Amino acid sequence: MINKSYNVTEEKELVKASLSGDKKAFGEIVNRYQKMVARTVKGMLGDSVFAEDIGQEVFINLYYSLSGFRGESKLSTYIQKIAVNLTLNEIKRRKRFFSMFSHKANNEMYEFEIADHDTEERKEASEIVTKALLAMDSKFRIILTMRMLQGYSTKETAEILEVPIGTVLSRLSRAQEQLRNILIKM
Amino acid sequence: MKASEIKNLMISSLNDDADAIEVPGRLEKEGISYNFSHNFSDKVLNKLFSAGLILKREVEFVKYMNFAFYRIALTGVAAIAVLLISIFIIEGSLSLNSFLGLSDNYDESIVCLLTGN
Repeated sequence: MINKSYNVTEEKELVKASLSGDKKAFGEIVNRYQKMVARTVKGMLGDSVFAEDIGQEVFINLYYSLSGFRGESKLSTYIQKIAVNLTLNEIKRRKRFFSMFSHKANNEMYEFEIADHDTEERKEASEIVTKALLAMDSKFRIILTMRMLQGYSTKETAEILEVPIGTVLSRLSRAQEQLRNILIKM
Repeated sequence: MKASEIKNLMISSLNDDADAIEVPGRLEKEGISYNFSHNFSDKVLNKLFSAGLILKREVEFVKYMNFAFYRIALTGVAAIAVLLISIFIIEGSLSLNSFLGLSDNYDESIVCLLTGN
């Protein structure tokens, strides 16, 4: 995993303090994990203000469900599960909306901006990653996000997505095939 | 990193034996990183602690609605009971005809009434 791993006891103390109403402690949790959540949400939905709204919702959900966090898994895994669920729900909502009211293709459901980069090469790279991600089916996109943007192992991916390792392995190969086809056309 | 290298990196990140830990770091070096706005945590905290008030109001509203529902439902049940009793007293039975107000009419008179003959 790319993000720094925090001391487990310190994490538990932060959770405990947040539960007792310490806003600063919860603010610290938000600061620590916002980048991780941004990678999941923006990787899945594209870089837009809507993605930021979902990011805020992730932490609001976390705050209200903190009492259910038993500390059996890492806090980052718990937050990641919330982020994945909310993002997949948002994709489902958009699909329903677009199937009823619009004839746009799947990858046109997302509005995104490519941030300014110092070189053309970097801008192109950023564009390739974003467009390829958004062109993928959501069940494969989540796998690519977990691996490529978060750096999770197969086991960690299976734990977060709450599916057996075998399922992750089969989705990895199918996602790779789909990604290859998408990248060839770019 | 060239476009072709990025594409290869993306594809290789999905190898089941790939060391996925390295990929995000390499992408970040290429400027591919995702962040929220700089005051993200303030926004979350503001939303959270001002939303608490809204949430309380919503809970109170639901309580009032439940209370109002019971009152309306009880009034409705009482009105139906009064109506049934009054029909029974006036018509002497609770048959379908007495509900429809047809207990005093013969079939022939209804046909006459409808056809005008």
